[in-house]
Amino acid sequence: MNQPVSMIPDLLQIIPEVLLAGSVCLTLLLGLFVKKNRSVLLAVVAATVFIVAGIYILTSWPHKPEEIFAGTLRVDDFSAFFRVLFLAGGLLTLFISLQKENATEYVILIQAIVLGACLLSMSMHFATVLVSLELVSLCSYILAGFAFNKPSSEGSMKYFLMGTVATACLVYGISLIYGISGTLNFSSSQFVDALMQSKSVMIAVAALLILAALLFKLAAVPFHLWAPDVYQSAPTPVVAFLSVVPKLAGLALLIKIVLAFNLFGRATVDWRMLVAGISIVSILAGNLSALAQTNPKRMLAYSSIAQAGFLLAGVATLDPTGIQAALFYAVVFLLMNLLAFTALHLFEKWKSLPAMADFAGLGRVAFIPAFALTMALVALTGLPPTAGFTAKLFLFSSLWASWSDSGSTIMLILFIAGLLNTVIALYFYLKIPYYLFLKETPPGTASIKISITGNFLLLILVIAVTWLFLNPGLLMGWINRITFVL
Amino acid sequence: MTDIDFLFYLSVLLFCCGLLIVFTKKNALLILMGIELMLNAANLNLVVFNRQQAGLDGQLFALFVILVAVCEAVVGIAIILRVYHYYKSAVPDRVSELKEENR
Repeated sequence: MNQPVSMIPDLLQIIPEVLLAGSVCLTLLLGLFVKKNRSVLLAVVAATVFIVAGIYILTSWPHKPEEIFAGTLRVDDFSAFFRVLFLAGGLLTLFISLQKENATEYVILIQAIVLGACLLSMSMHFATVLVSLELVSLCSYILAGFAFNKPSSEGSMKYFLMGTVATACLVYGISLIYGISGTLNFSSSQFVDALMQSKSVMIAVAALLILAALLFKLAAVPFHLWAPDVYQSAPTPVVAFLSVVPKLAGLALLIKIVLAFNLFGRATVDWRMLVAGISIVSILAGNLSALAQTNPKRMLAYSSIAQAGFLLAGVATLDPTGIQAALFYAVVFLLMNLLAFTALHLFEKWKSLPAMADFAGLGRVAFIPAFALTMALVALTGLPPTAGFTAKLFLFSSLWASWSDSGSTIMLILFIAGLLNTVIALYFYLKIPYYLFLKETPPGTASIKISITGNFLLLILVIAVTWLFLNPGLLMGWINRITFVL
Repeated sequence: MTDIDFLFYLSVLLFCCGLLIVFTKKNALLILMGIELMLNAANLNLVVFNRQQAGLDGQLFALFVILVAVCEAVVGIAIILRVYHYYKSAVPDRVSELKEENR
């Protein structure tokens, strides 16, 4: 410990993150000096970095689990899986639309959030958790206000105020855990031993405080109140990004933290009960509130709260099958949410559509985006022929298996609640397709011009969502090889 | 009561004060102050608990917390200024167009 240690071998393990950090600096410089075609150039540079970093991670698959930087980060298949997801999320967001105003800041913030999310999925130490979580959060608060208008500033402030309270709770929870265990490394044996021996109530308090911050990132009940306002007011490409990358970063950390605190089932808190309870309430609250919404983005906000509940349902089983189902669900969730918001954005570029009724008959004048939006909503409901169905199938079968293995009633309740909610979800998700295709087009509606890149992106996402339905084996084969040893 | 116990109860008190401020105060800047109080309660804990441990983990982590708190304050005040520019108020209760639009 006392000898100076070279950082080079450790840095070589996280080349994608080093690249991202470098490209943040490069973007800043380019933004200062390039005047012509700035937004295109910056997007191309950032997209190239995302692609190179993603390919680098994929080619070095499978990773030998290795702890770097004195045990603060760990490179393994689990983190590699999430890092590829975050990079893909960032890449697709850059393609949704070209930010003309403040292009430099926009690209920097996107890259910084992806960087933070990548580091978060590798964190094994509370210090790296705090720093990378804050990197994600602070950039998200700024991005939420990126429409630069009145409602957007309001959404940004609400997001910020609730988010910082969540962070303060996280930090206090960490300080309590440090007092009990004497270590900040939550994968170390010292941490597990100390928590096993201690009978203190403080463990439960600290764990709940830490959990609160993660549920906030996931937008799960009871920390979901920011989501509808932010989704409604922020620019649509930003919402697409915020609904995917920070949420899945929260999921990655939540899986690790819950497995660490579960202490192989010997914890004083019944984690299965707790996570399953939050999951049920999130699914119910999200879906029931979504029923009453008229604004499509607000509806998708509540829908994403319910989706967070489904992601948590996989974690609640606390066994590898359930978590693998949650990981599969995470991939599909990324694709279908980005698809829904991209299609919505292409409609919005043409005309502002604050209510679902404004979509009446637009399916006839703009078939491709209407079809893509319908596919996305069908996938979110969980119906064939989309990957949403496959993901829910894996999830429900893992819940069923968990119930028949452990016999805990909460798993059965979760199973039934999930199935029932798919029926409720049908009603509000299919409202937009109903307006799109079955209502008459208002007279005088000009046909919508959608850019080629927009159509191309929609097409790729639609193909991805159907392909995962027809052929889930390849992805599931990868996920099955991920181990969850702490 | 030992020193460490006393300081721990102090930090609990600070944290609860901070939380109370967050829930009762109307102005966004005062809420930010409450959050700072909560973060400092955690810092106190970290530094105090570090006395029982070998190494400097807790104190170093407290430095990170201070750093994060500064960044949070910068971003937060910038956002609150922007809200003030539009609404001429920094009271979240009066800044609620989004919900009304929905009704």
